[in-house]
Amino acid sequence: MDKSSSQKLAPSIIGVWRWSSAAGYAFLVGIPVAYYSIIGSRGIHFWLLMALAFISLALWITVVFIIPPIRWKRWRYSINQNEIDLLRGVIVKKETLIPLSRVQHVDTRQGPLLRWFNLSSVTISTAATTHEIPGLDEVIADRVRREISTYARLAEDDV
Amino acid sequence: MIRANLVTILVFLFIGAQSDSFSFFFMIGGGFALLMISGVLDWWRFLFKVEEGEMHIKRGIFVRKDIYLTKDRVQVIDISSGVIQRMFGLVKIDIQTAGSTSRAAMIEAVPIETAKEIKKKLSKNGTVEEENTEEQSLRENKIRYGLPNKDLLIAASTSGRFGIALSILGTLFSQIEPVIRESNMFEYLFSLLPAQTDTFMIASIIVVFVIVAWLISFFSTLFMYGDFSLEVSKDEMLISRGIFEKKRITIPYKRIQALYVTEGIIRQPLGFCSVHIHSAGYGDEQGSGSIVLFPLIKRDKVESLLEKVVPHYDISLQGIKPPFRALRRYIFRSAALLTLITGVLYWFLPLSNWIWLIPLLSVWWGWLKYNDAAIGWDDKNVIISDRTLSKTIAIVKRDRIQDASVSASWIQRFRKLSSAELHVASGDHGSSFSIDDISESDGESYLNAINSKLLVERKLPAAHDTTKELVSLPGW
Repeated sequence: MDKSSSQKLAPSIIGVWRWSSAAGYAFLVGIPVAYYSIIGSRGIHFWLLMALAFISLALWITVVFIIPPIRWKRWRYSINQNEIDLLRGVIVKKETLIPLSRVQHVDTRQGPLLRWFNLSSVTISTAATTHEIPGLDEVIADRVRREISTYARLAEDDV
Repeated sequence: MIRANLVTILVFLFIGAQSDSFSFFFMIGGGFALLMISGVLDWWRFLFKVEEGEMHIKRGIFVRKDIYLTKDRVQVIDISSGVIQRMFGLVKIDIQTAGSTSRAAMIEAVPIETAKEIKKKLSKNGTVEEENTEEQSLRENKIRYGLPNKDLLIAASTSGRFGIALSILGTLFSQIEPVIRESNMFEYLFSLLPAQTDTFMIASIIVVFVIVAWLISFFSTLFMYGDFSLEVSKDEMLISRGIFEKKRITIPYKRIQALYVTEGIIRQPLGFCSVHIHSAGYGDEQGSGSIVLFPLIKRDKVESLLEKVVPHYDISLQGIKPPFRALRRYIFRSAALLTLITGVLYWFLPLSNWIWLIPLLSVWWGWLKYNDAAIGWDDKNVIISDRTLSKTIAIVKRDRIQDASVSASWIQRFRKLSSAELHVASGDHGSSFSIDDISESDGESYLNAINSKLLVERKLPAAHDTTKELVSLPGW
């Protein structure tokens, strides 16, 4: 992807990701708790429990505090008359090209968490797949949507 | 508006009787009358007409549904006739557009002439004025390909429908098994067979299963592809097949999304393969838009067939292979899990050493997968070949690609490898073709190739100016 023409997501998406993975990975904290309530913490089990607690806490901290900024840093998108180009991924890096002539419809979505941060996500559907640009400022998202649909209208092909 | 034929009631009745929502007992005890009434109502409320290249269907007893289909959007026209329909000289016509919403646009029973009329009106050039000339030119250009009986038998005996048949048998067996067990049939069988050991008994049961499954797959394929023919005319092709349930599928060339050649594991050594296409219509019940273009053909004759039928799809296009350093990953992916499972089983169960043939075979399988993987492109097509069990070579026209992506996991990045994938429209969900572990630079040039093609191909009309008001976007 041409780095110069590509855009980044709104930085506040990091907050959204943090909150959603904090909730989504809360079960990690539950693992040592469950271990304690079932087996207890006597003898060797105390150390096993400590190790387990350490590991799950470390994992939780990673997904909540370390991954989201990296994810934001890696997320780039660019839109021009010919295609939409999405580049993202922390562990698996993925670049996707969507020809604009293949775009069936675009919409913007906003859940409660995104609304709290004044963000919207743009969803791009083709006849086969659906892609999402997860966190854009409401106004920008609206503009991106309009831009894509304007370009897509220029293409006359069907399916 | 034409009302569907009266016999539709009967058809609706039979179809209604098959649905799960009415249990068998309910049906016997008065449910039958209900079905009868709903069948009549269904028929009464079902109206359709075709005019000016647009099909209009009104249906529904309580919730009225108005369906409009324009001929520009028709992907596939599918005329089929089951045993019941054929008794009354009727056919089912199914007009598929992209997406699953057109599922309701199916007429269960119409006379064949009406169906042909509808088909003609909805075909690309089937307007009334040019009907005569069209008819003539169609006749002139028509080429017909059949499937010789010998090939049909080979197709049936090597069909990959084996697994499906086995699973059917399995469920059937689990249903019947308690009954058999209670009636002491097993003991009887045990006393009949010369088998003394349990192992032998299990082995013989498996053998019987496999034979019965093979027979099922043999006959189901025979009935499905019997009487096969492929007719090619100027704008569209017509595939007809089936002995008991006849199917006639019309596909305009422009609607073909992708084409793929499959060499099954049994067929490949014999030098046979089958050819499928993807359409954006919903195809079968599972919603995959895959349609058989040719059920069995000699591998070396595929090129000449495709050249005559779909000349734009060139299967001989050369591909780039994954680099040698990817072989390790291919073998690891197919062998690692199997080896682990075998190891664990070997440890805990008293198994013979022959069990280690399984991991060896999986290594060989990985090597085969590596050997068959390739990706290639020219200015019109992208070709991807890969293997799961059977080898598949897929050709997609570039302007049919819905999206293309290249991904690389952490380990792949370390080894300078990447995976490429593309999606085409097919049925409800689309279909993807992918290749693992091509070199990073090949992956990059694959994306660039698709990208650059877009830049050259798209000539933006004057309306382009409207985009000027969209100022370039700020960062966020």
